[in-house]
Amino acid sequence: MPGPILAVERLSKGFKSGGQLVPVLRSLSLGVRPGESLAVVGRSGSGKSTLLNLLCGLQTPDDGIITVAGESFHRSGNTSFEARWAELRRRSIGVVFQEANLMPALSLMDNVRLRAHLAGHLSGNERGWLERLGVGAEADRYPDQVSGGQAQRAALAMVFAMSPALILADEPTGSLDRHTADAVADCLFAMQRETACALVLATHDTELASRCDHMLDLSGAG
Amino acid sequence: MMLVRAFVSHYRRHPFQLAALALMIVLATMLWAGVTVLTDQARSSLFQSEAAVAARVHVVHSDGQPVDVDDFADLRMAGVCVAPWLEVQRPPPEGRVVGIDPLAMNCFGESAPGGGAGTLDGTPFLDISEAAHLSREGHESRLYLLAADKNLALPQGYVSREFSLGPPTGELADSFLLNLDALSLLVLLITGLLVRSVHRLGIAQRGGSFDLLYRFGVPRRRVRQLLALELVALAGVCVLPGLWLGAQLAGVLGSGFGQALDSLFDVTLYAGSADSLPWQAAGVMVLLVLAVCLVDWVVPQHWQGVAGSRRGRLVAALILSSGLVGVALAPNLAWVFAGTALVFAGAGWLTPGLLALLAQRLSDHASLDENDLLTRWRRRELAVMFRHLALPVVALQYAMATVLAVQALVTTFESTFEDWLAQRLEAEFYVEVPQGADAGLAADRLRKLEGIGAWHQVSRGEARISVEASGSEGDTVAVDLFALNPIGDLVVGWALMASVNQPWQALEQGGVMINEQLARRRQLEVEDTLEITLAETVTSAKVVGIYSDYGRPAGEILMSGATLPRNFSARFESFSINPGALTMAEISEHLAETWNTHDLTVRDNASIRALASQVFGQTFLLTRAISLLTLVLAAVALLIMGWVFFTTRAWYFRLLGIWGLPAIVVRGQLRRLSVTLTLAITLAALPLGIWLTWALVSRINPLAFGWSLPMDLYPLFWLELGLVALVTGLVIALLMRRQLVHRASEKQVER
Repeated sequence: MPGPILAVERLSKGFKSGGQLVPVLRSLSLGVRPGESLAVVGRSGSGKSTLLNLLCGLQTPDDGIITVAGESFHRSGNTSFEARWAELRRRSIGVVFQEANLMPALSLMDNVRLRAHLAGHLSGNERGWLERLGVGAEADRYPDQVSGGQAQRAALAMVFAMSPALILADEPTGSLDRHTADAVADCLFAMQRETACALVLATHDTELASRCDHMLDLSGAG
Repeated sequence: MMLVRAFVSHYRRHPFQLAALALMIVLATMLWAGVTVLTDQARSSLFQSEAAVAARVHVVHSDGQPVDVDDFADLRMAGVCVAPWLEVQRPPPEGRVVGIDPLAMNCFGESAPGGGAGTLDGTPFLDISEAAHLSREGHESRLYLLAADKNLALPQGYVSREFSLGPPTGELADSFLLNLDALSLLVLLITGLLVRSVHRLGIAQRGGSFDLLYRFGVPRRRVRQLLALELVALAGVCVLPGLWLGAQLAGVLGSGFGQALDSLFDVTLYAGSADSLPWQAAGVMVLLVLAVCLVDWVVPQHWQGVAGSRRGRLVAALILSSGLVGVALAPNLAWVFAGTALVFAGAGWLTPGLLALLAQRLSDHASLDENDLLTRWRRRELAVMFRHLALPVVALQYAMATVLAVQALVTTFESTFEDWLAQRLEAEFYVEVPQGADAGLAADRLRKLEGIGAWHQVSRGEARISVEASGSEGDTVAVDLFALNPIGDLVVGWALMASVNQPWQALEQGGVMINEQLARRRQLEVEDTLEITLAETVTSAKVVGIYSDYGRPAGEILMSGATLPRNFSARFESFSINPGALTMAEISEHLAETWNTHDLTVRDNASIRALASQVFGQTFLLTRAISLLTLVLAAVALLIMGWVFFTTRAWYFRLLGIWGLPAIVVRGQLRRLSVTLTLAITLAALPLGIWLTWALVSRINPLAFGWSLPMDLYPLFWLELGLVALVTGLVIALLMRRQLVHRASEKQVER
């Protein structure tokens, strides 16, 4: 069995509020192997998004160690960490948010091409990813010319076009209706299995969470 | 009350928008108030300057003896309105000052020099006691008894005479005042655009709240009333500091800046700080704010949509074309101004769309190279920005075009005027021929003087001309006559606009030269034959040259004095003299002896030139200052708008960071985008600026004043503007930098 692509040890993070430190994550540890999926659930404010931010280096932990694709990061604000995190996000970590994942000035196709180009995986098959996610016909349209579901599929196409080792998805279907959300989730899991990348999915949706291999409930973590 | 609170709640959440709008109104008011004060001061300063060089009348003894204090007392007791006028000539840079007695000037009323227009601060008028003090220090001085009117009834033994200091400058001043007024209007237009652009940004974001209020049952008219009330209150509050700042700004420019320039370039700025706040400017600004912000209510909805459409662009192109053609063919000044307005309207309408289209095209081109995807994205973003920042883009384009044109005009004017003045005042001294004295005797005497440098006799008078080729009887026109004898070294260096071969020889042999004004007005060319009536003697002469003449609008012919008929009576005669190996005092002695008079007026041309240059120097300075201020305001507005707009796009730059682009690369992209935006506006301003320069020198000046200026371009100014654009773009990027750090992106990621 391969080692984990993502490993977290004793991770802690808090925020200052009214002069006091409010802990959000306390000594959290987890591991995700390639091809595995982990659902992060919990009530609002339990630290789901904070955890995902920490896992891709957009925030710095107060304590603990995060290891992604063999590279370890800890609390230090060392500037070289920033560059290494940036390199990881560029080549290995695909991030999907609830919305606003696309550059509005570029067509869906150009968005996918740009993301693949940044990851160094521009293959000429970017239209193919859009087609596989069911938005090939909209490839030359702009984000404001397609529906929310189509934009989210294009966002997934962007992530898969970069061949990531790890996908971090923060409420990727949160703004979609049930039917569209199911379709987008189907695409996400199918492609994740096909590419054998690891997936960490933050969601309120228990049905969506249940489709993951593992589940982490942060409700009591703080 | 609750409605009002709900209405303004937007600004509680977005105080920066309120601050930006308030700042823009304050800056716009500051600029407008500054321009108003400076223009008013330029006007009064020019009047003051002109008063110093204007032709005047003084009273002298019939026998040529100098007047003194007893004469003043005798004349006043005889009921004649006279006042002492003590001229003191100091060496440069102080130059000439005039001592006057304000009390004695009372009987002059409105026409009192130095009393109505200015203050007794030595620019150039001061109290006669101070002038007397300077005179006692050994500076050359002369006392005149100034008369209020040429046609005074004078006691026995006195006569009145005119005296003047140099070339009349009124029309030149009018030209600049006209340009200042046009510039002020342009400033008003630019500030209006800027205020509107900031206001529109806020309204676009408040649209949702207004719709909600409407759904809650608040009529749209009520919303509009509140919006108007809000604007009136905001404008009312903001114009006050704006007025104060504008007055301060004018004061700084009028004193500190002026003094710095005075010490550096000997350019004296008479205008100082304003005595009171320009309240009129406040009223104009409040009305302007209301007009530009609320104009949408009176413009039909379907018109507003047309602006960016294909049909709209076609209309804009038509407006631009008709403006261009209109200015080129306009028969009078009103049409030129109307055409210029059309050109600005058309160019402003088209520019943002064309720039966006260009950016889009370049973006499509970039996609051909797969490694150029970021460039493609940047160009697309640029296209979006040109569309969204249309108003500040156009305002900056106008401001830059204005600065370009004004700088080019002023620089051309300065150099041309300097050259022209140098030609006209080539000799070191000029001596007026006293009333009744025989200039011919003096000319004979000068001819015999050994060691004297170049000199000529100047005769001025009137003539009537008609063009022989026209063949129409009675088609004659009165012109000024300017006769020189001999034609020598003092004039042969003149740059002529058009001439025959060896024009000065041809002039000596009976040809005439005409000034540009006359040539334009009568469509005269070199080789045309004129029929000239001089003292009832009619002669024919060929036009052998056309010369520039910037001082006045009158048509003028230049002839050799040797060809004047014997019975010709000159209105004014003088000698221009280079002393050569002699001193001017020696030459003056010879002339005084010839004319048997002590009342000899000898003027130093260098000081006259300095005086005339000074008069225009300050006008040039003010014009430049106003255009520069406009540019600064437009750059600040673009900075604010650019920053606000970039903030709304900040997420997409953060997204690049989330996608793993190093922060330094993201910042580089931002920098390139903002700098490209501002530099592109500079490029768009260039053709408009060059065209405006042409319109000013080749259309407005000839139509208004009869003379044109050479069309010179100054690429160094273009570089200066490019630098302003570069700095603006870099500052936008710098302000945005803080918003791109990861910590700031946390909120977005946490959504």
